[in-house]
Amino acid sequence: MLKGEVIIDEALCQGCGYCVKFCPRGCIAITGDKFTPQGYLLPTVIKPDECKPCGFCAMVCPAAAIEVYKYETEAVA
Amino acid sequence: MSEEAKVVTKQRVAGRPKLLIRQTAGFVYCPGCHQPLAARAIAEVLEELGMGDRAIGVFDIGCNSFLLGLLDIDAVLTPHGRPPDMATAIKRTYPDNIVFTVQGDGGLLSIGADPLLGALTRAEKITIIMLNNAVYGTTGGQMAPTTLLGQVTTTTPRGRDMTRTGFPAHAAEMIATFRGVAYSARGAFDTPKNYMRTRKYIRSAFQKQMDKVGLSFVEILCACPANWRMSPIDSLKWMEEKMLPEFPLGEFKNVDKTE
Amino acid sequence: MGERMFIEGNVAIGWGAAAAGCQAFFGYPITPQNEITEWFAREFPKMGRIFVQSQSELGSINLVYGAAAAGVRAMTSTSGPGWSLMQETMSDMANAELPCVVVDVQRGGPGGGPIRHAQQDYFQCTRGGGHGDYRNIVLAPASSQECCDLVQLAFYLADKYRNPVVVMSDAIIGRLRETVEVEKIEFGPLPDKDWAVKGKANHKDGKRRLVEHAGDLYFRYPNYRALLQSLQQKIKQMQEAEFRYEAYKTEDAKLILVAYGYTARVAKEAVNMARAEDIKAGLIRLITAWPFPYQIIKDKAYQGGEFLVVEDSLGQVVEDVRCAVEGRAEVHLVSILDRHIPTDGGMILPDKVFDKIKEIQ
Repeated sequence: MLKGEVIIDEALCQGCGYCVKFCPRGCIAITGDKFTPQGYLLPTVIKPDECKPCGFCAMVCPAAAIEVYKYETEAVA
Repeated sequence: MSEEAKVVTKQRVAGRPKLLIRQTAGFVYCPGCHQPLAARAIAEVLEELGMGDRAIGVFDIGCNSFLLGLLDIDAVLTPHGRPPDMATAIKRTYPDNIVFTVQGDGGLLSIGADPLLGALTRAEKITIIMLNNAVYGTTGGQMAPTTLLGQVTTTTPRGRDMTRTGFPAHAAEMIATFRGVAYSARGAFDTPKNYMRTRKYIRSAFQKQMDKVGLSFVEILCACPANWRMSPIDSLKWMEEKMLPEFPLGEFKNVDKTE
Repeated sequence: MGERMFIEGNVAIGWGAAAAGCQAFFGYPITPQNEITEWFAREFPKMGRIFVQSQSELGSINLVYGAAAAGVRAMTSTSGPGWSLMQETMSDMANAELPCVVVDVQRGGPGGGPIRHAQQDYFQCTRGGGHGDYRNIVLAPASSQECCDLVQLAFYLADKYRNPVVVMSDAIIGRLRETVEVEKIEFGPLPDKDWAVKGKANHKDGKRRLVEHAGDLYFRYPNYRALLQSLQQKIKQMQEAEFRYEAYKTEDAKLILVAYGYTARVAKEAVNMARAEDIKAGLIRLITAWPFPYQIIKDKAYQGGEFLVVEDSLGQVVEDVRCAVEGRAEVHLVSILDRHIPTDGGMILPDKVFDKIKEIQ
């Protein structure tokens, strides 16, 4: 079972919205109620279970504010 | 009977390249500006090639100058327009390093025309990277050589008019006509697909230098939301609708030998 | 080296630069220094060193910036109009603290001017020449031998202070053939150029190096004032330690001539003519035009001396002399308008200077 995790660094995020636009599954959205310390609109991962992870959000982020992780869980006999 | 246990492995899939410096206080780019993606792409390519320790970046005055704070390589800031000269001197001094310039469209094609022609005619084995956002960004959005017809800038308040100020300049096509040029391409950062394509172009350009073939050039279309007076998402749309038709992407020259 | 040659000043520059370990020369054609560029084009490739003919003087000085940033001894040479083009980058190199040597073989001006000799670039060389607060050390050779020796001193001082140094020659000194003994001069140890960009693999600590000139990016200094204080301290150190001049028959002189370059040789001849008629004249020949030797001139002024400046311009050195005497002495001038003929081949000749000496008496 694959799971992805997207971590957005609020100290670096500038609220440009590119990660929102380019997530192929629409996992990220700007909900309008979260802000970075600098006052930018901070996106939220609204559908964490749908994350592939593909890493596109990290790639298009000009501030390099996004880290993406892949989790693999294995059943061991 | 043994119990079932779950082993969870965590692997980093994507994130900040090692050569990309994390700046909080010093990060000056406007939200949605594509220029820092150039630093990211260069960092990723240098890491792929294992050349981070043998790379020297030569940065022009302009928004691209701030990239030298983002890349963990030896770097030089030059007077406006001059990087091809410094890069020439540095490459001839340390030929085993990848020596590349990062310049804007105004820096390269306007005030930088003299050094550009010098490097092209002498076929210097450097890589020139031009970030094309169709304006002079750092100074507030004046007309640049690549400004589109009809584009409103602070010095073309009624839109660029061909009868007064000519036509947008096409660097990648022009540079491809020089015999000493081994590689000339145009990419863009507006979509993930184009980012990956442009990263490949940068890698090819650096490889030409490592193979000592000739001068390599990569033009990259970049959004400038602040000076286009648009939101970042709208500036992507403007790139797609206006810039890409004017400045087609692709490789205009790719040779293994210059003659 | 240690070779004796019969060569012109321009060519002596080349041999001196090679002796100093100059690694890179960049130049653009301009009269009257083409012999310098052509010497490097011939000799540097033979020595395995870098020669590039640039696309303009802008190119020349910016190529020098690059090579200097890479930590090698680099130089260019030019004349007045090209020297003007170089000023932005001279200012940038002063901020970035890059060592380099620039030779200005002066010709007539202003503007395109005649391609023959003059001494009109003094202000531009000694006042920095470009925008902002900085100074170049300016060395003024008056012979072919000095061309060879002073260019070596120039490289040493440039590295010592991490500052550009100008060798201010002129078309006469540049084209005059004299006997030169080309010998490598030892000046003493200098620190490693640990600050230069070479690729991280070439740095012992593996950390990256940055060369920049903007001043507002605060990579080198915490703020603007710190940068300015550092520049001022450097200027002060150079002023105190690096002024050089030749005093000829000045011990008992009541009339002191002040000159540099070819007019210093003319002035020396005029001093000899004066002494033959028992006139107590002497000469202070500037070897460094900057730092200017204010103290010796001030001392002579306070001792009751009078001054005659001999320069092939409308009057530039004379202002520094007037400043140095602090109102205590008369300062006279033999200028470019006193040349022997009105065409561009005119020169200030010893006869004219001697006439002026007699007039002053």
